Amino acid sequence: MKPSRPSQPFWLLLPMLAVLGVFFVYPLFSALRTSFYDWDLLTPPRFVGFDNYRAVVASGELLASLGTTLLVSAVVVLGSLLLGLGLALAVHRPGPVAALARSAVFSAYVVSWVSVGLLFLWIFDADAGVVNRALGAVGVGPVKWLTSTSVAPFTVALIVIWKVTGYAMVVFLSGLSGIPPELQEAAALDGAGPVSRLLHVTLPLLRPTAAFVAVTSLIASFQLFDVVRLLTQGGPVRSTTVLVYAIYEQLFRDLRVGRASALVVVFFLVLALLTWLKLRAFRAEEAT
Amino acid sequence: MHRRAFLRSAAATGGAAALGSAAGCADREAPPGRVVVPFWFMYGGRNRATLETLVTRFNRAQSEVWVRAVFQGDYFEGLAKLRTALGAGAAPPLTHVVGEVVPYLAEAGVLEPLDHYPGARELPLHPALGQAGSFRGGAQRPLVVVPFNRSTPIAYANGRLYDAPAAPATWAQLEQTARALTRPGRFGFGCPIDWWYWAALVAQAGGQVVELDGAVTLGGDAGVAALGFWQKLVGAGVMKQPPGRDYNAWEQLSQDFLAGRVAMIWSSTAFVRYLEETADFPVRALPLPRGVRAAVPTGGTHFVLLKSAAQELKLAAWRFVRFVLEAESMAFWASETGYLPVTTEAASRLEASGFFAKHPNYRVALDQLVVAEPWPWSKSLFRIQREVVQPALEAAVLEHLDPGLALARAQKLAQASAL
Repeated sequence: MKPSRPSQPFWLLLPMLAVLGVFFVYPLFSALRTSFYDWDLLTPPRFVGFDNYRAVVASGELLASLGTTLLVSAVVVLGSLLLGLGLALAVHRPGPVAALARSAVFSAYVVSWVSVGLLFLWIFDADAGVVNRALGAVGVGPVKWLTSTSVAPFTVALIVIWKVTGYAMVVFLSGLSGIPPELQEAAALDGAGPVSRLLHVTLPLLRPTAAFVAVTSLIASFQLFDVVRLLTQGGPVRSTTVLVYAIYEQLFRDLRVGRASALVVVFFLVLALLTWLKLRAFRAEEAT
Repeated sequence: MHRRAFLRSAAATGGAAALGSAAGCADREAPPGRVVVPFWFMYGGRNRATLETLVTRFNRAQSEVWVRAVFQGDYFEGLAKLRTALGAGAAPPLTHVVGEVVPYLAEAGVLEPLDHYPGARELPLHPALGQAGSFRGGAQRPLVVVPFNRSTPIAYANGRLYDAPAAPATWAQLEQTARALTRPGRFGFGCPIDWWYWAALVAQAGGQVVELDGAVTLGGDAGVAALGFWQKLVGAGVMKQPPGRDYNAWEQLSQDFLAGRVAMIWSSTAFVRYLEETADFPVRALPLPRGVRAAVPTGGTHFVLLKSAAQELKLAAWRFVRFVLEAESMAFWASETGYLPVTTEAASRLEASGFFAKHPNYRVALDQLVVAEPWPWSKSLFRIQREVVQPALEAAVLEHLDPGLALARAQKLAQASAL
């Protein structure tokens, strides 16, 4: 379709640009500006240059929260990829049992984060939780799922994996449905066994799907907030303070708008870097 | 046919629901001609219901002012919203805030001075609970707060497991009790690793978080002793530290207590009614033990008027504050919730009516007020609490750090981070 006037496409884009400008671009620049001020919203802001950035680096908060975010994200991406793929392969077949299994696994994805948080608070209670009771019955534990600094980040990651794996499974199922059955048949005729067919036919053809799952899981784990707020409030000893939670603490708990804004700017730069890497990887994939 | 019947039935149900909801709204609608006072509050459950009853009583008792109570989450969520609203110029005329943040808000100039409000200096407040008793030097400053739901930490014991006639009177006795009550699957004692309880221990050990000259010492040796006491009990496996922070940890510990997984806990007097009504065992409220001296901090919130509100609204809000502090209202509030009766008149009324004789658990916090410790008037207090002490306590207990080193590091951080 040809535009009636050269300016027509820009007018059509204007509503979306306005929304992006008001709700995304303006807040970002606003955060950039306030990151150079000491401000508590109550008293007049005071220009402090790069002091807020220095403070979040010197206190170790930036590195710690970034490290926690990356650790949780890495576990979530890896876990949801492997589990999602495994479950998709297991239930990619006709019949009521597989349909029930698909629905059951996906149901976790539609449960609200608040419900998930409250549910796992009970499940992972160190003394009365069902997990430790089950482990205790076989002589293991008790494991301090939520009160140990070395275990709590993995517990949080485990919960996110439980929540998002259903989604990963559905996406992998969609990818599996897109693989022509003739390819599997041809490989079988050539003497390839189930493992060879999985390794040399199915998995290579699922690479774009896997990349999509990895990106969506990464985004989900970078946005992690609700479950941390409910389960651990960033503790014990800041071991589950992910970047978004650190921003929340600085802004709403510690009344430090400038430091929160500095963390927002860093968060944006990290996301921009990850997006650039992802785009580069996709383009390289397309080129080959 | 079936479809039509269904649609008719659905329409009827929807209509009834709409009417019901309209009726509910009408009940909340201010009658014409009243001054409407938005009041931000931060309670759930029974405390919220009791407060709403007081609001309804006030709204019915006179015909000029209409208080509209608006729930804003827990104390810290409410505070965040208040601060944002202040920044946006949309703060309500009336709310209530925790004591630790009062100096910060007062120094920021957002709290309305109350000295000239009718009867402000003549309120029959308990000496330990008004601004003068709650903050060091509070009497010399402009009056900016009126106590509302005030509390102290107290101990709660499972009456089936702890039948000694008196409470553990010293730290050593508390430790002995914790050991004696501990069994497989049950801790003898439980306490949130929380600033408020640590402050109680610091005071009992003879120290102060902020010295009289304003220096942040975190109690010095007393702070170390307090932290070391917790570490000792946790290390011995006789004290449960609940997961989570702030009120999540408190609530978790209450659940452990109610389920019989902890025999004795430290919590707020505000939980007395809830624990009594929910437990399937007799609940005994007990005073905290003494260290080198007896001491408890006070907690809870104070009413504040926000300077930015219109004068008409502030005066109307003040009428509600006065109403809540009347003997009848305050006695109702204290007896329904477990919070302290903040006026001497309300306490006398409860005494005279035989309430305390019938419910001795409610009296424990009131009796403890003779050893209540005032908070320092320090603008940094709120940040010392949230940013420095709380993480240091958690780290020291969970990671078995040397308490002296942990608090020395925290003290350095408090001084270095331009609090």
